[in-house]
Amino acid sequence: MNKNILFFILLTIVSLSTVNYTFAQESTHSKNNIAVSENNTHTVEHELPNTVMVIPFIILLVMIATGPILYPHFWEHQYPKVSVLLGTIVVIYYAFFLHNTTSLLHTAAEYFSFIALLASLFFASGGIMIKVDKKATPILNVGILLFGAIIANLIGTTGASMLLIRPFIKINQDRIKPYLIVFFIFIVSNIGGALTPIGDPPLFLGFLRGIDFFWFIEHIWYIWLPTLTLILIIFYFIDSRNRDIKASKEYTGKIEFKGAKNLIYLAIILVAVFIDPNVMSWVPNLAPSPIGLREIIQFSVVILAMKTSDIEILKYNEFNAEPIKEVAYLFIGIFATMIPALQLISHEANVLGDKLTVGMFFWSTGLLSGVLDNAPTYLNFLSAALGKFGFDINIATDVKEFMNVDYIFLQAISVAAVFFGAMTYIGNGPNFMVKSIVERAGIEMPSFFAYVYKYSLPILIPVFVLVWLVFYF
Amino acid sequence: MKNIKEVLAENISGLHYGNRILLPFKAEILKIVIGTHIITDFSKNIDGASIRVTDFYTEIYFYEYKNLEEQLTKYEVIKLALVQQGEDIFNFDNHFAIELKIESKHKLLIEPIPTDLLFFE
Repeated sequence: MNKNILFFILLTIVSLSTVNYTFAQESTHSKNNIAVSENNTHTVEHELPNTVMVIPFIILLVMIATGPILYPHFWEHQYPKVSVLLGTIVVIYYAFFLHNTTSLLHTAAEYFSFIALLASLFFASGGIMIKVDKKATPILNVGILLFGAIIANLIGTTGASMLLIRPFIKINQDRIKPYLIVFFIFIVSNIGGALTPIGDPPLFLGFLRGIDFFWFIEHIWYIWLPTLTLILIIFYFIDSRNRDIKASKEYTGKIEFKGAKNLIYLAIILVAVFIDPNVMSWVPNLAPSPIGLREIIQFSVVILAMKTSDIEILKYNEFNAEPIKEVAYLFIGIFATMIPALQLISHEANVLGDKLTVGMFFWSTGLLSGVLDNAPTYLNFLSAALGKFGFDINIATDVKEFMNVDYIFLQAISVAAVFFGAMTYIGNGPNFMVKSIVERAGIEMPSFFAYVYKYSLPILIPVFVLVWLVFYF
Repeated sequence: MKNIKEVLAENISGLHYGNRILLPFKAEILKIVIGTHIITDFSKNIDGASIRVTDFYTEIYFYEYKNLEEQLTKYEVIKLALVQQGEDIFNFDNHFAIELKIESKHKLLIEPIPTDLLFFE
């Protein structure tokens, strides 16, 4: 079998993650060693992990994909134990067999950065209420979806989804249909958030690795805009065919907003993203502590939001910390188990080099982002793309050189990870959250497979093929 | 025996024990939303829920929950669409949308669903 195909099968099996390190070029390091960076300035060598250690990662990914569908009761109650147990296996292997604690510390730091951002956005936006008492029209719906796509870049796809899904359902209460929610997931929960690291978790992981904050908007807006426009046009035509039945109430046209102090929390979270020793020299580096000043600020916002958010708003939002708890537990396992997977992928990419095309990265990142979570998938492929050019994902200067010189690979991976997250309910965290909110309102949503064959395949795939033909073919 | 309207007006509570709730009126249940489960099939199927109406109360068993008090958070409610038994079920004006809140000591608060809260019958 072709080595390229083998490599992408390996990615497919393994994908997901947020590596901390990559392999140094074979020419400078021994075949069985890896280079792990310390403080982004120098590297120490550690032994290559055994390929068997990828198994916990594969098990976890398969269970994340199948658990909520095939064995929901077991999964609902046991996922924290499963995730922690699988992660612990890899941690023990690295700590006691490879004696590579540097990698574990890096991973822990990355995990805390990731969860601090998501949790703070989740809790802060949960205390905000928007009520729109207007009659839905296709144009108004397009406006809300476009607004959601834009603010997703400021408060994350998670925050924007939580903020807008209820008003979106409410104004459509006399004409509610599953396609309305599906397009909401496409646009607000996924594609909208492709312009900043705050927008979608994969991009934030890239930012943590050294990609400039504004690189994304600069290099992705001209793909984001036509893609979004095309999907909104499709939505408009479908929505125009949804004829109103008689309105069940008189609409006042009023828009009500509550929870202003939580907007301040969101602003603090946004500013805190930049409080990083790699971005601002005055920021103290608290290493080897896995938690920095940014994370301390963001976790403080979590506590503040929990203590001060308006109870009435929380009730209106039917606020429930379960979704973020689930993310926190699952990503403990994902971050830990993906370490060996990422190392192997980078190594293979480095060996295969020129044979890997940008189109291969686009489709592989995308298809895996659809069926796995897109955040770890993104880092796996970012690591591979860097490895292809002999760069090290652990060294910020390498990442910066890569994003400027070979930006098309980074662009393809970034676009694919964010856009394809909309392909399934499990492609991106907010998808399931939106589904859950909608079902709690008594609205039947399409099953996992119906979502794919009724909506993703006929609507998204043709759009993504166009993106590929125009930009990466 | 009170009817649904009287129970709501007088703030009369129901009861809950484990996965069973008891409502102090006789009702035809049309739809239940509990967590993300939407239940409309009340046949003898083992999934979802089963309903029994006696001369003194209506009881519902939730098969997928062992203990409602442990499994529902303080912000979560059970939402029901129902009709007073004996009323014209085909007249939408007779339909009620109520929410049930699990309280301690087996108390079950019964309230109309506020207009703000999302619920589609």
